Amino acid sequence: MNWQLIILFKSIWGGLAALGFAALFNVPIRSFFHIFLFGAIGILIKFTMLHYDTNIVLASLVGAIVIGYLSIPAAHYIHTPPPIFYIPAVIPMVPGIMAYRMILGLITLTGNTKSPTYYIVLADTINAGLKVLFIFISLSVGVIIPMLLLRKESVKDIKVPFIKK
Amino acid sequence: MSELDSIHSESEMKQLADLLLKVGTMLIGSGANTGRARTTVTRIAEAFGYSVELNISQRSIMLTMLDANGSTQFIMVRVIPQHRINFKIISGISRMSWGLVNEKWTINQISEELKRLEDITHLPRWQVLCLVGLAGAGFCALADGSYLDMAFTFIASFIGLFVRQESLKAHFNSYVAVYFSALTASLIAGFASKIGWSDGQKHAYVTSVLFLIPGVPFINSFSDILDGNIMNGISRGATGVLISFAITLDILTTAIIYHF
Repeated sequence: MNWQLIILFKSIWGGLAALGFAALFNVPIRSFFHIFLFGAIGILIKFTMLHYDTNIVLASLVGAIVIGYLSIPAAHYIHTPPPIFYIPAVIPMVPGIMAYRMILGLITLTGNTKSPTYYIVLADTINAGLKVLFIFISLSVGVIIPMLLLRKESVKDIKVPFIKK
Repeated sequence: MSELDSIHSESEMKQLADLLLKVGTMLIGSGANTGRARTTVTRIAEAFGYSVELNISQRSIMLTMLDANGSTQFIMVRVIPQHRINFKIISGISRMSWGLVNEKWTINQISEELKRLEDITHLPRWQVLCLVGLAGAGFCALADGSYLDMAFTFIASFIGLFVRQESLKAHFNSYVAVYFSALTASLIAGFASKIGWSDGQKHAYVTSVLFLIPGVPFINSFSDILDGNIMNGISRGATGVLISFAITLDILTTAIIYHF
């Protein structure tokens, strides 16, 4: 498989992961399709940027901002507040493997300090841990950035082109 | 204004305050951020010509009712029973709050709508379990797992969520429920790696617990802090950290059991 197909395959699974969280949070059924779409778009952006050697934190931030922006017209169109779209849709971008590497590293670091690989594990744990921390922050802040930039208390006050009220 | 009118308006005010607190507790209890609860309650109060002051915490809401002259009428406090994420309630209340501003609802209409939202339906349980299983398989696919790994993650997430629902039903502490659920999921998925059905990369084992990640507490925590509700943000963040800690503890337990 070439890389475009792999990314497309991953986006579909990312959308399905978002859908699973939508079911877990008991989202209204009329917004399921958009959550699937936004989850897939987020993963598509993240992995495309990773393919072109972008930093993973930046890739996650851009994905989250795009999801945040998309959820504003969706909120008008489906009559559901934006958090209901963006919360399930960004969760597939959480770096699971990296969090696992951090946890495993922390467990190893509580062991014997005389081990020859101690400093390698230390560097690896700090690297994974900082990435997890910053990705989490960029996902949480990224989805609210559109609302902060548009400076409105409620999405109903934002004018969205092409959608009639 | 006659005496009868003022008595009527006072009882109406009490009734309205009761409903406003109900709206607030339902919103916070089903996972809305603090800013949303504050805006919605204020909007409903303004639709009836009153103004309110709110103090919202994670366990209770305090409301001061002001009359048209801005003098305090009374203060009410309501405890938030238990946090259960339910976005249908948030969406329903948001629609209701716009509907009642535009269509001039009465207090009784609101109270009926809230009653309807309170016993709103969930998806059938098996469908939720299957979709969450698919989410687990999706996480495994994102981490480059094979189809066999994905199948194991599906089963592990499915049974893990089942265990979480059952432990919550048996009134376990919610963090303990997360621990039980994560332990079940990672024991099932780790078994695949242990007996060599997986390629040794432990994809299934790592991604099987990801359906428990505290997305709502963390995202709400940041939006609360950016909004100025710092105490609420910190308490939500603490919830998220504790859930993560429960998952970490489970990875430690499984690592000891399976010698990973």
